[in-house]
Amino acid sequence: MEMLKRLLYILLIIPLSCVDPYTLELERGEQLLTVDGFITTEPGPHRIRLTRTDTYGSVFEGLIRPVRLATVNVRDSEGMVTFLTEVEAGVYETPAGFKAKVGLSYTLQLRLIEGREYTSFPEKVNQVAPIDQVSIRTVEIATDDRLEQRVGVQLIAHFKDPGDQANNYYWRTAPGSFVLVANPELYTNPPTHPSDPRGPAPKDCCAICYLVESSRSQNFTIASDESFNGLETRLPVAFIEDNGLRFKDTYRAEIQQMGISQEAFRFLRLIEQQLSITGSVFDQPPANIRGNIISLDNPDETVLGYFIAADVATSELYIESDDLDIKATPRIIPDDCRTVPGATLSPPSNWLRN
Amino acid sequence: MKKLLPIFILFQLLLTTHLQAQEKRVVVGRDIGSMKNLNISGRIIDEITGDALVGATVTVRELNKTEVTSTNGTFSFVLDRAEYILEFRYIGYETVTYPIVAVGDGRINLTMIQEDFTLDDVVIFGRDPEKNIRSTEMGAISISMNTLKELPPFLGEVDIIRSVATLPGVSQVGEASSGLNVRGGGADQNLITFAGAPVYNPSHLFGLFTAFNPDVVNDFTLYKAQIPTKFGGRGSSILDITPKSGSLTKWGGDMMVGTVSGKASINGPIVKDVVSAQLSFRGSYINWLLNSLNNPELRTSQANFNDINGILYGEINENHNLTYSFYRSYDDFALASDTTISWTNQSQSLRYLGQFGEKLSVDLIGFHTLYDFSIFNQSGINNFDLNSGIIDTGGRLSLTYQLGENNRINFGGDTKRLTIQPGELIPSENGESGVLPQKVQNEYAMESGFFFQHEFELGEKLGFSYGVRYDTYTYYGPRTVRQYAENLPLNASNVIGERTYSDGEAIQTYDGWGPRASIRYSIDKNTSIKAGYNKMYQFIHLISNTATIAPTDVWKLSDQFLRPQIVDQYSLGIYKNFKGNIFESSVEVYYKDIQNVVEYKDGARLLLQNHLETEIIPGEGQAYGVEVYVKKNLGRATGWASYTYSRALRRVITPFEEEIINDGNWFPANFDKPHDLTLIGNYKISSFTSLSATFSYSTGRPVTFPEAKFDFAGNSLAFFRNRNLQRIPDFHRLDLSLNFKFQGDGKFYDGDWTFAVMNAYGRKNPFSIFFADQPGSPPQAFRLAILGVPLPTLSYSLKF
Repeated sequence: MEMLKRLLYILLIIPLSCVDPYTLELERGEQLLTVDGFITTEPGPHRIRLTRTDTYGSVFEGLIRPVRLATVNVRDSEGMVTFLTEVEAGVYETPAGFKAKVGLSYTLQLRLIEGREYTSFPEKVNQVAPIDQVSIRTVEIATDDRLEQRVGVQLIAHFKDPGDQANNYYWRTAPGSFVLVANPELYTNPPTHPSDPRGPAPKDCCAICYLVESSRSQNFTIASDESFNGLETRLPVAFIEDNGLRFKDTYRAEIQQMGISQEAFRFLRLIEQQLSITGSVFDQPPANIRGNIISLDNPDETVLGYFIAADVATSELYIESDDLDIKATPRIIPDDCRTVPGATLSPPSNWLRN
Repeated sequence: MKKLLPIFILFQLLLTTHLQAQEKRVVVGRDIGSMKNLNISGRIIDEITGDALVGATVTVRELNKTEVTSTNGTFSFVLDRAEYILEFRYIGYETVTYPIVAVGDGRINLTMIQEDFTLDDVVIFGRDPEKNIRSTEMGAISISMNTLKELPPFLGEVDIIRSVATLPGVSQVGEASSGLNVRGGGADQNLITFAGAPVYNPSHLFGLFTAFNPDVVNDFTLYKAQIPTKFGGRGSSILDITPKSGSLTKWGGDMMVGTVSGKASINGPIVKDVVSAQLSFRGSYINWLLNSLNNPELRTSQANFNDINGILYGEINENHNLTYSFYRSYDDFALASDTTISWTNQSQSLRYLGQFGEKLSVDLIGFHTLYDFSIFNQSGINNFDLNSGIIDTGGRLSLTYQLGENNRINFGGDTKRLTIQPGELIPSENGESGVLPQKVQNEYAMESGFFFQHEFELGEKLGFSYGVRYDTYTYYGPRTVRQYAENLPLNASNVIGERTYSDGEAIQTYDGWGPRASIRYSIDKNTSIKAGYNKMYQFIHLISNTATIAPTDVWKLSDQFLRPQIVDQYSLGIYKNFKGNIFESSVEVYYKDIQNVVEYKDGARLLLQNHLETEIIPGEGQAYGVEVYVKKNLGRATGWASYTYSRALRRVITPFEEEIINDGNWFPANFDKPHDLTLIGNYKISSFTSLSATFSYSTGRPVTFPEAKFDFAGNSLAFFRNRNLQRIPDFHRLDLSLNFKFQGDGKFYDGDWTFAVMNAYGRKNPFSIFFADQPGSPPQAFRLAILGVPLPTLSYSLKF
């Protein structure tokens, strides 16, 4: 008896998995002191921010709780102590002219107004390799909307890693600036105009401004040289999304490449890991991110954050509109470019191109 | 016409048994006038395939004596000259009643037919309906594929791993994970063997499907409490999967075309009645499904999987046979198009089963297993390939000697050589690549065991089983090993030197005795109490810091830093059958103590890590629970209910404060789900229609919630202090399926239709709760539900 079995499955396909916000009552924890700051070999001023933590996801989450009126100083391994001054609530700045020196170790010392004292572990400033070149690559990223792609520019740092030592790198971008192109000739009257609502009313000025970006969230990239020790390597270190305005003319990007300590690298890696969590099956579990600050009065007190001291190599790059292979749909500003908040007619001081 | 044949056969069968029962007794033996000690032996084979039925039971109704058929389907009784009624039972097969007149030494050759071909009540007996009461075995469950086929399917197919997870004491982390957690053990504490060869990652598509084609599986057995001494090397359980061999009499095959995968198989005799072959292939075409998803990462991804099975079976004679099995599963997954992850399992085994005389049977097996895992990075910058793998080669000789009725010993030995290649990174651009080639040192070990087990009964009431397994393990060079300063944590700053071991030089040796014993006391024919103790050693560890089995997990052999896991288990159970074995019930309690479980340090880096000892911390584990199980074996309504209350806890205490987890207190393991309830039911509405349902409920698994929110370098971050102290919401889900069998005389609708709905009431069971600062919303908690909606499937199977 021969038997042949045929099976046919008709699967009604529905998107299976989904991610949605979830309301959760979290216990109100202690307000822990957090230290957030870098000092580098650049002239500065360098900022140390002192805050207190809040309950995760609480309605007050937007509020930052600054720690005011603290005494903050940085002490180097040669015994030199530099005091920082509070320039805004909870933000302490190094004096003009202060810069960290390669080869020295720095310790952050804090004394809060109620008298409690804290210190960081010493952070040694290691020399960082210079950036030989920054190249760019246009990339596309798919989004939830299948008709729309995010387009942007990846900045790739080229450098030679010194082979005789273990190096840890941290890259961040300084706020970018770009030529803001507007179309004042396309200006139309407001709908409330008494005689000619929405009627054309071309303006003479101004089509070209400069805008320095301000962004709260700082993306960063880290790497340790385990996989490229001693090599001339290149790594994608930043991504600038084309929002329809940035790449209409010229964009100035500035990359800072920092050499950081092994411990700072471990700290930043935990942060990077947390930022990359998507809830997926293969996520790493949440980790306790331990910093390098301790309380001198109560060794069991948890202090969050990290004090980083680093050598910096900087490289700037002007990206022309034609450098991009693919561009996002340009956004038209039918008005005087000066109406955009922050836009100026004169280029920023570090703009070295006409 | 052909399709009516089974029905004719069936009718004939029903008719003949009926006639036999009424009028005719089969005369067995040549009458030479003996009155006592007649040797009545026999063999049971499958009516359709001609295969021997191993583990079927033969009961002499008058004497209430039961025998289980041996490895080649044979049984024997010593009877007095009389009339008897024999009952033959086998899981998934129609029970046969066979009246005989025993007049002399003689043989009975019987064929049994799969109940697939009958349209009557469902029978989900285990292989032997009274085995749960009578044997000294505890926590061993065998299930045939015929039983599984009655359950609601998962994405249109029967799934072995998921079915095992419905049994008491077995759980999974979540809906998309392939790992099993048995009685509080980690996913690495289960040895999954296919035809006797170990399989390391039996999952397709990151655990969405089990990588065993259900069509080639005959049955499987899970041992979770009293593990026979011939098995060792893993702490919690053995899942032994037996493949089907091809028919020795005729060629046949089947084909299936599905929406995400298709399969085909062919089987038949190469040499009639001597050698048979079975070849099966299953392959996927899932990309259109991925492309239709909304998630941008999945939409731009590509996935492929396939698996191949080949079985060659040779019957030298009815007492000696050989089976060769080849199994290979392959997966690749291109995540958002520039990184491809691929993994392959390949296992082969050759098994000889022999019966020498009445008393001695021999089971000899040799196997070779490969597991390969690779990542290809084609991002355009610093392209690389990263490869890792495991090779296991070994064998086992197991001898069973029948000392008497209900008195036998089993002894033998096994050995295997393990090679782990933890990772090698190869830059794929010549010369100009900005990454260095890297290779983590290979690991080599030899693991051997010698075992002995004695099972016997003292009268009707008492049964004993005791034995011991001696495990020995050696970790070999070549290898360069770091030496760390004493009394300091193992990390890079405390390295004081290195020692190089040459090829074949022993670096570390472990050995240990693993006693196992159980006792059974029968209160009456239907009730028994059993108690047991079990000790297991495990020399291989899954170093993972994800909640489930991921292909990126690293397997690590025990070395001088990482000691073997040792599991002590104590169990006690009461077993009762009601109404002539229609209902089977049990209550089991257990306590387990686990040494040297691996916990990871915060932010551990496991990939391409030459010094894993710096990333992990040994901990201890503790698990206990109560399992209540009620099963209805027979009738229009069949099914089971299982409820488990269990805890799986971990504790890490080290002399170094920075390594202590949760202040040195016991904390729940990732898979600790105290309440776990499964209800499975199947109702035959008519001969042609049946309805089945599965409901499962469990406590949400532990997760870690943030204690506070802090800001660093412009990012909002969560501060987590202690692990696993909160839980995600409870899990519950109902799956339903409706089966129709149509007899359409060749019309297109002739065949089986199955309509199923998974997650019938559409509960969004969270797989995880996570915390993120995503653009456009404040930092908050999110929920990931793998199966967030009811998922209907319709399957149509055509037979001709």
